[in-house]
Amino acid sequence: MKTIPPPCLEPETGPKYWRSLDQLADTPEFREWAEREFPAGASEMDDPVTRRGFVKIMSASFLLAGLGATGCRRPVENIYPFAKMPMDYVHGVPQYFATARPTRRTAIPLIVKSNDGRPTKVEGNPDLPESNGGTDTFTQASILELYDPDRAMRCLRNGSGESRQVALDALSALAGTFGDGTGLAFLMGQSSSPSRMRLQQALAEKFPKAAWHTHEAIDLDLPRQAATLAYKAPVEPFYKLDEATVVLSLDCDFIGSEENAAGHIRRFAKGRHIEDKDSSMSRLYAVESLFTLTGLNADHRLRVTPSMIVPVLARLAMNILPSADSSLQELAGPAQAHDEWIVPCAKDLKANPGKSLVMGGYRLPLAGHLLVSAMNDALGAVNHTVEFHKTPNFTEGTLADLVTALNNGQVQTLVMLGGNPANDAPTDLNWSQAQAKAKSVIRLNYYNDETSWNSAVHPTLQWDLPAAHYLESWGDARTTDGTMVPIQPLIEPLFGGITDLELLAVLGGMTPTSPYEIVRQTFRGIAGDDENNWRKFLHDGFLAASIAAESGVQHDSAELTKALGQIKAVSVEPTNTKLDIVFFRDSKMDDGRHNNNGWLQELPDPVSKLTWDNAVLMSPKTAKDLGLVIERLHQPQRVFNYIVEVTLGNRTVRGPIWIQPGMADNTLGLALGYGREKTGRVGIGTGFNAFKLRTTDAMYYASGAILVKTTDSSYQLSTTQAHWEMNGRPVVREANLDQFRKEPKFAQAMKPEAPEKGFGPAYPNPLDAAKKNPANHQWGMSIDLNRCVGCSACMVACQSENNIPIVGKDMVGKSREMHWIRLDRYYAGPEENPQAVTQPMLCQHCEAAPCENVCPVNATSHDDEGLNVMTYNRCVGTRYCSNNCPYKVRRFNFFDYNRRPLNHLYKSPLITTTDGEWELMRWLKNPDKGNLPEDEWQLARLVKNPDVTVRMRGVMEKCTLCLQRIEQAKIASKVKARDTDHVKLSEKEGTVPKTACQQACPAEAIVFGDISDPDSSVSKAKAQDRTYSVLEFLLTKPRCTYLARVRNPNPQMPDFKEHSMPYSTEEFEKANGAPEAEGGSNG
Amino acid sequence: MADASQGVLVPGHPDLRVQGPPIELEREPLVNNTRGPGWISDRIASVIEGPTPRWWKISFGISVVFLTLCFSMILWLMSTGVGIWGNQHPVMWGWAIINFVWWIGIGHAGTLISAILFLLRQRWRTSINRAAEAMTIFAVMCAGIFPLIHIGRIWLGWWLFPIPNSNGIWPQFRSPLMWDVFAVSTYFTVSVLFWYMGLIPDLAVMRDRAKTKIRKFGYGLFSLGWTGSNRHWSNYEKAYLILAGLSTPLVLSVHSIVSLDFAVSQLPGWHTTIFPPYFVAGAVYSGFGMVLTLLIPLRRLLKLEDIITVRHVELMCKVTLATGSIVGYAYAMEFFIAWYSGNSYERFLFFQNRAADPFIIGPLFHIKPAPYWWGFWTMVICNVVVPQFFWFKKCRTSMFFVFFLSILVNIGMWFERFVIVITSLQREFLPSNWSYYSPTPMDILQYLGTFGLFFTFFLLFLKYIPLIAIAEVKGVTPQADPHHPLGGAKIGEKH
Repeated sequence: MKTIPPPCLEPETGPKYWRSLDQLADTPEFREWAEREFPAGASEMDDPVTRRGFVKIMSASFLLAGLGATGCRRPVENIYPFAKMPMDYVHGVPQYFATARPTRRTAIPLIVKSNDGRPTKVEGNPDLPESNGGTDTFTQASILELYDPDRAMRCLRNGSGESRQVALDALSALAGTFGDGTGLAFLMGQSSSPSRMRLQQALAEKFPKAAWHTHEAIDLDLPRQAATLAYKAPVEPFYKLDEATVVLSLDCDFIGSEENAAGHIRRFAKGRHIEDKDSSMSRLYAVESLFTLTGLNADHRLRVTPSMIVPVLARLAMNILPSADSSLQELAGPAQAHDEWIVPCAKDLKANPGKSLVMGGYRLPLAGHLLVSAMNDALGAVNHTVEFHKTPNFTEGTLADLVTALNNGQVQTLVMLGGNPANDAPTDLNWSQAQAKAKSVIRLNYYNDETSWNSAVHPTLQWDLPAAHYLESWGDARTTDGTMVPIQPLIEPLFGGITDLELLAVLGGMTPTSPYEIVRQTFRGIAGDDENNWRKFLHDGFLAASIAAESGVQHDSAELTKALGQIKAVSVEPTNTKLDIVFFRDSKMDDGRHNNNGWLQELPDPVSKLTWDNAVLMSPKTAKDLGLVIERLHQPQRVFNYIVEVTLGNRTVRGPIWIQPGMADNTLGLALGYGREKTGRVGIGTGFNAFKLRTTDAMYYASGAILVKTTDSSYQLSTTQAHWEMNGRPVVREANLDQFRKEPKFAQAMKPEAPEKGFGPAYPNPLDAAKKNPANHQWGMSIDLNRCVGCSACMVACQSENNIPIVGKDMVGKSREMHWIRLDRYYAGPEENPQAVTQPMLCQHCEAAPCENVCPVNATSHDDEGLNVMTYNRCVGTRYCSNNCPYKVRRFNFFDYNRRPLNHLYKSPLITTTDGEWELMRWLKNPDKGNLPEDEWQLARLVKNPDVTVRMRGVMEKCTLCLQRIEQAKIASKVKARDTDHVKLSEKEGTVPKTACQQACPAEAIVFGDISDPDSSVSKAKAQDRTYSVLEFLLTKPRCTYLARVRNPNPQMPDFKEHSMPYSTEEFEKANGAPEAEGGSNG
Repeated sequence: MADASQGVLVPGHPDLRVQGPPIELEREPLVNNTRGPGWISDRIASVIEGPTPRWWKISFGISVVFLTLCFSMILWLMSTGVGIWGNQHPVMWGWAIINFVWWIGIGHAGTLISAILFLLRQRWRTSINRAAEAMTIFAVMCAGIFPLIHIGRIWLGWWLFPIPNSNGIWPQFRSPLMWDVFAVSTYFTVSVLFWYMGLIPDLAVMRDRAKTKIRKFGYGLFSLGWTGSNRHWSNYEKAYLILAGLSTPLVLSVHSIVSLDFAVSQLPGWHTTIFPPYFVAGAVYSGFGMVLTLLIPLRRLLKLEDIITVRHVELMCKVTLATGSIVGYAYAMEFFIAWYSGNSYERFLFFQNRAADPFIIGPLFHIKPAPYWWGFWTMVICNVVVPQFFWFKKCRTSMFFVFFLSILVNIGMWFERFVIVITSLQREFLPSNWSYYSPTPMDILQYLGTFGLFFTFFLLFLKYIPLIAIAEVKGVTPQADPHHPLGGAKIGEKH
């Protein structure tokens, strides 16, 4: 029964696989390429870190990596023989390291997988109390940026390359000239790093006259600032959504675009979780102008224009706060129209003291956040649903201060750590002009972007240094709750990148300048000198007990009164000639920092399902009023929309429109971070730059915008979902909580009409025999639609784990995207204010799989463990399987996406050239070379998971339930079992692996496991009343089932009075009649 | 009409009257103008032996251009990927499969005419069977290209054949695509054999008439030593009958099996038990449509009006009418079953995704028009309405009109496959998958390219192979019938 794996032998011989390596290391082409990267003077033989260092690292990585395209073949030619095996290293067995991805003011603790020296997959660190191993899309995709061929690779002095050492030496010499810091200014992105704080303090002592500024184009730090003001102490709020029964979000997309979204999702999903009819769940109210994920998950949603957000907030506050101030009353005036919604909502919040929570989004003004604080205080939320944690008191100046100083000629030397103000600073600051007024500028950045060296625009940018990726850096950070986490590198900087710690240390003339030593020192200061502590810190990925809630905070409303006095009482509702604008953080680009990340560009926006572009979002009614609706008979994924000009003040941008149901009327939604002028090969030409409309006084909400339809030809937008409605089909099944309590098996009753008799399979289930064998696992999955919030982290996690290529905007428009798991989003109800649902859809692993019997070459078949497996080698690409798949979850490689540049897909290799060589000839010479430019090809291969085949063109692919993880777990279990028979994986022993999507899901909506084990969590999930399978009447018997969604509306709310059941259920009943009371589940 | 009791005047012999047949048995002869066997041989052979007409050269030139296009497109496809076509996520099969089924359908008439009509003793088949069979073979060749090139990895297409190989893996015999491979290849093989078999006496005629050495050698080689001896004829007739018997089930099986590609799946619009007979009827319909399209101009251009008579055309029109009506019935039945099944997915597909047009049905039932409503209605008009004209003799006997309608038949049958393949796939079970398929220029050029292939071969066939079965046509002339007034050995008439 059990096969004992053979011992790991010496690497097999057969140097043929590695003929490309010799070439790589020694061919003139490679030399030439390397030379090109490091121009004259950079390739001295005695220079330890430039060309030779690079070649060494790269060769070593290549050597260890295995070719992406050849999967997991072992390297056989040794440059550095393993005379001494590094500790804990076993050939082919990946290693895992704890680290963290720093974000603005927090960090996401991670466990990163390293395959033979190169990081390949990022996962959340499940050991932290504040984490379950779930992550967000940015984090999942961040690994691609490490291998981005367009990242900054060279130290530039006035535009010409210098070696890293020369640059650091020069900077260190420069540091001696700063004196007391007069004329020295720093501009940094936000950070939570204790080490950076420490260095900053040391530098401030050394250069007391130096000025410090921070800049984030999208500042998510306001809740902290408000809390610090409201509680007269440096504290930041920490929301415990799972403990709240009623949550009100005030333009706060805590599921999507706020800081720590993964953490919020985890707690929110916990609060929404129901098991059976006796469970209770939380209720979410949302007030917003856009249609965000939070609104999508809300039980009640009030769509209001941006002008009305603050009045609604004030009106709510009036209903909640014990004593309303007069300025509040004045502010709240225009919101009276929404009293029907506001009053019962406020009542509900007040009815749950200590169990209700109000959250304000980053777009709210400071006064709004102070109001939120006051409301939470009044609702008794403090120390129950919201805790306060101590935080350093950040005192840096703003970008505006810096611009004033620059314009006054007070800045001699400007040091910029990260950030791209030339692109994203408010336009009225006129950054580029201001920057030119500094005598010299030193900049550290990950990309060569708009702020980079350019003799015309930034003539004084003296040093432009490449930053290291966080996976190449030593550092530290704090998570939202204050836990200290390490950032440790998994690979030496691929291109000699510099970390901000190192640069600060060099500029401060400090020793040591090694980031490792800096972090080590900081840690010593915090946790003492014990080496074991340090090792544990690095091993666990966090410093235990570094968190403590501050319980003794006292709310002080003085600041609120002051702030309310300053805020202007609004306001007129926008009209279609004077529109409101919401500038928002894009769910994929953030503020533009991920612009060159192909995974994120191709990831559909969770709500609009747009890829590769932003658009001028507007409600259907607004579009109709402005004459921008194009009647379409059919719905392709490629949509041509009008291009409009949006004018705000004297600034104008042009972009295509996108009709977004559920948005407030007369409001435009502009996602930031697109339309970059200077970015990499991936991001260039995507979307339009909404930063160009932003000014310091209207950072997130603006009013008075004018929209003009242009005569230009329409613009192509690519979306991954062309049809928005469920058409009454029971795909996503939902009910209200009271309906669910009355009829717990409602989901199974929601079947389309089917004949009652003789409705059964004609043949016995081929798996029945295999199921009886106790040695077989039976894999299955259950997805809880009540927990899934639609964040899309699973999609990127799958892409990263399974080597899924990106296909480009044009291909997405032709419905050829390759995502193995997709998030279907359906709207139901009125177009103006719909309800929406999301549903992860992946291969359902049907027991009676329709795809299998139609494949003429046996390329897709079933294994005994219930997996529908795909043999890529066998597939000839008839695509019949996809046609016969009712869920359409199979993906076809229409082109060689992994090997060819996306803009060359249609061009035949017979008539194209790459790097100046005929592609056919290149291929004949070396089939492993790929048709990508050499630099892209070398890096593109490194990101691949060696355990998963990279598919070529003409091959069908689909979700495998992470078969490679299952197999690895089985091998590990067999090794451990030695000659006993105890090889079966079991959840109790923790040997059942997680699929990539499951692991990334912060909501824990996806459960995978062995359904033959009655105690497994998947078996328990499937036993719940809400279980159903999609299209069960086809008798495909999917192994992947869903738990129906339950909404928890408040009967007092106006929308409930009209619709006592979810819109989608209403549509279903309209199309199919009321579901029968049950009894026919196996009929 | 002459009085039967007075007998019939023999042309050229003013004093000879022979007893005419009873009036009720009088039918139009299958060869007009009482053309004798000598004339028939000369006329048919002159197409090959005579000077090459200008229209032939021009059409051949154009055909070769399109043939080149066909292979350039295949080269582009092979080197680049299926993505150059419009196939996309829900619609994984596009024009390639439409064209495949369309060409295969066209390939039906030939064998039907040559085998089934032969067994049924339909003597009128002889004038058209040769050309129709040639059409069949070339159409099946065009059809065969598509399933081969539409797969993702063309160079592994041989995995669809049960060839013992080192992988030790056999094809999957449960897949209808596998059945297709056998059905189509068997059909092609038998059709070629049957065609060649029938050609042997005529090749011998050409050999005997040949004036150049090359010709003599070429026709001699392929006529396999035919001397026209009694024994040869006896064997020939037996073999022909056996092959006709073998081919007959193939006529029904090929398109039935092609239809199973769809019927075996579980897509609404595909999963339909009526498909096999419906597809066969449709195939015969389109096959006859194509035969008409080809032969109506040819009989004029090659001056064969006396052999391919108006009566032939009329008879073919009647077959077209019959099969077209079966097709129409099948369409109606599909709708009825979709409604009667009560399955909302089926109903949606037929009513909302096919039939709903923006002018009548859509507004009447308040449903959005189907994305391809125009495809559906083109199909219905061409396949159901158009053949109804053939009820009228006036329509059947007007060659221009029949030619025009036969083109519509071909268009209609292409759209039938388009409707089946595209509309069923593009909006099936989960609305999130729905999208809109549109072909690329490469799809269209590839399709046009196969016309190049077809016509190149067909024109070469016209030029080098007797396009009408000389020996057989002689057998259906009145003179060949000993009981006919003109038949038998009469007054030293030269044969």
